[in-house]
Amino acid sequence: MSEFEKLRVVIQYEFMKHIRRARLYVILAISLLAEVLVLVLIPALHDWEYPTSVMVMAALLTVGGSLASLGAVFFAGDAIAGEFESKTGFILFTNPVNKLTLWTGKYLAGFFAVALLVVFTYIVMAVSLLVIYGEVPVEIFESFGLCIMYAAAVLSLTFFFSSLSKGSMGATVMTLLFVWVLSGILESVLSFTGNPYWFIISAGGDSIATVYGGIDMFLEGLGLGDASRFGNMMENFKPLSSGMAAWGMTIYLVGGFVASMFISQRRQLS
Amino acid sequence: MNAPIVVENLTKYYGNFLALDKLNLVVPEKENIGLLGPNGAGKSTTLKILCGLIRPSSGKAFVDGINVVEKPEQALSRIGAIIETPEFYTYLTPVETLSYLGRLRGMKGQELKKRIDEVISLVKLEKWAKVKIEKFSRGMKQRLGLAQSLLHDPPILILDEPALGLDPRGVVEFREIIEHVGQKKTVFFASHQLVEVTQICKKVAIINEGKLLAYDDIAVLEQKHGSLEQAYLQLTGGPSE
Repeated sequence: MSEFEKLRVVIQYEFMKHIRRARLYVILAISLLAEVLVLVLIPALHDWEYPTSVMVMAALLTVGGSLASLGAVFFAGDAIAGEFESKTGFILFTNPVNKLTLWTGKYLAGFFAVALLVVFTYIVMAVSLLVIYGEVPVEIFESFGLCIMYAAAVLSLTFFFSSLSKGSMGATVMTLLFVWVLSGILESVLSFTGNPYWFIISAGGDSIATVYGGIDMFLEGLGLGDASRFGNMMENFKPLSSGMAAWGMTIYLVGGFVASMFISQRRQLS
Repeated sequence: MNAPIVVENLTKYYGNFLALDKLNLVVPEKENIGLLGPNGAGKSTTLKILCGLIRPSSGKAFVDGINVVEKPEQALSRIGAIIETPEFYTYLTPVETLSYLGRLRGMKGQELKKRIDEVISLVKLEKWAKVKIEKFSRGMKQRLGLAQSLLHDPPILILDEPALGLDPRGVVEFREIIEHVGQKKTVFFASHQLVEVTQICKKVAIINEGKLLAYDDIAVLEQKHGSLEQAYLQLTGGPSE
């Protein structure tokens, strides 16, 4: 039996895990709720009108970034650490399967589960825009592509922390702190001081919504004036291109995955 | 090197702690060998190295002539194992678990389905075959552990405290199964239960502090020390009162 056939088996059963666990449906419900809130609250708080620009509404409805990171972290936090923590590895690792095949299968199953969530939210978003504006901006495909890439990058990063961590919870918390707190702070400091910030993972996450336009467009679209309201904070800010965002995310996607494989191959189940 | 299990100068350190100290052991084909020793003697470490779960600090371990460290997948294809109390994915049922593990071993279709039914029946889990493992007791997981170790009909069984967590009836049933399958297989198992060992094995290896203290027929050890229990006590901690 080839390793490729074994990989297919691992993906199948790992994907089954994601489908059967409540967390998939909880994240799905949260993202749906977020989109419903945008659809309800914007007109309710904005003179019963949606923004005139479809691009502004598309950006506001884009929950994919948060959803992708949340899904990736919760689906992959226990991927490696869990086998050691819950000792299921005593059964799994005594089978004639290369561990690289096992980890790759787990990664791909997690990726497919997150992609499923992302596809669902983009469908909801596209249908909503079509109903409200009668059109769907073509930038939605660019946003979708970046979102999928961001999901893969966060998944790799979670695998990295999962390979280092003793427990699943540790991996989950470390990834969330890294992606949502540390990276967010670094991105803000670097971008507002005019320094390169394309290599920060949260910048990749932000690029998912900024394909529709910059901060000026959002503020104007919501009738909030322009970016001068932030004083000199925006003077040095340069929006990130999708290409640069993709390069930045590739670092985490490849680096995180390779590092997690390297570390987990050396880990022993004693 | 033709014996099913060969251990050569096997040494394992956990940090500064020496768990195995140049252990040498050969388990002949179709023999049932018990591995005895107090807690921390190195029993589980030996079995984990043979199953590719941990790497030795030095020395070699062979399964069917295959170096476990160099070719773990090939070596593992010859083994069925239970290490510690087996834990399974709780979202799967026993049938799904066995199907997953069987497919990873290249089994499929009707052959796999038939074999799953056989091993589930053997360990008496028929009523629980399609219930998620999250509802299982420790003893039931132990039964499923034995089922997965026998699923692919391996020539070698490596069992670490296989009856741990079982009720008295379960212990007897377990012993009968291992006795039965042990007639056609090489069984190498660690246990603290001397009664269990004498009923399944003709030969035992006694280790302590990572060193082999005795490796002989139970009858010979009984002759030398009066009983297997006395042999164990005298060899592992001086004569008992």
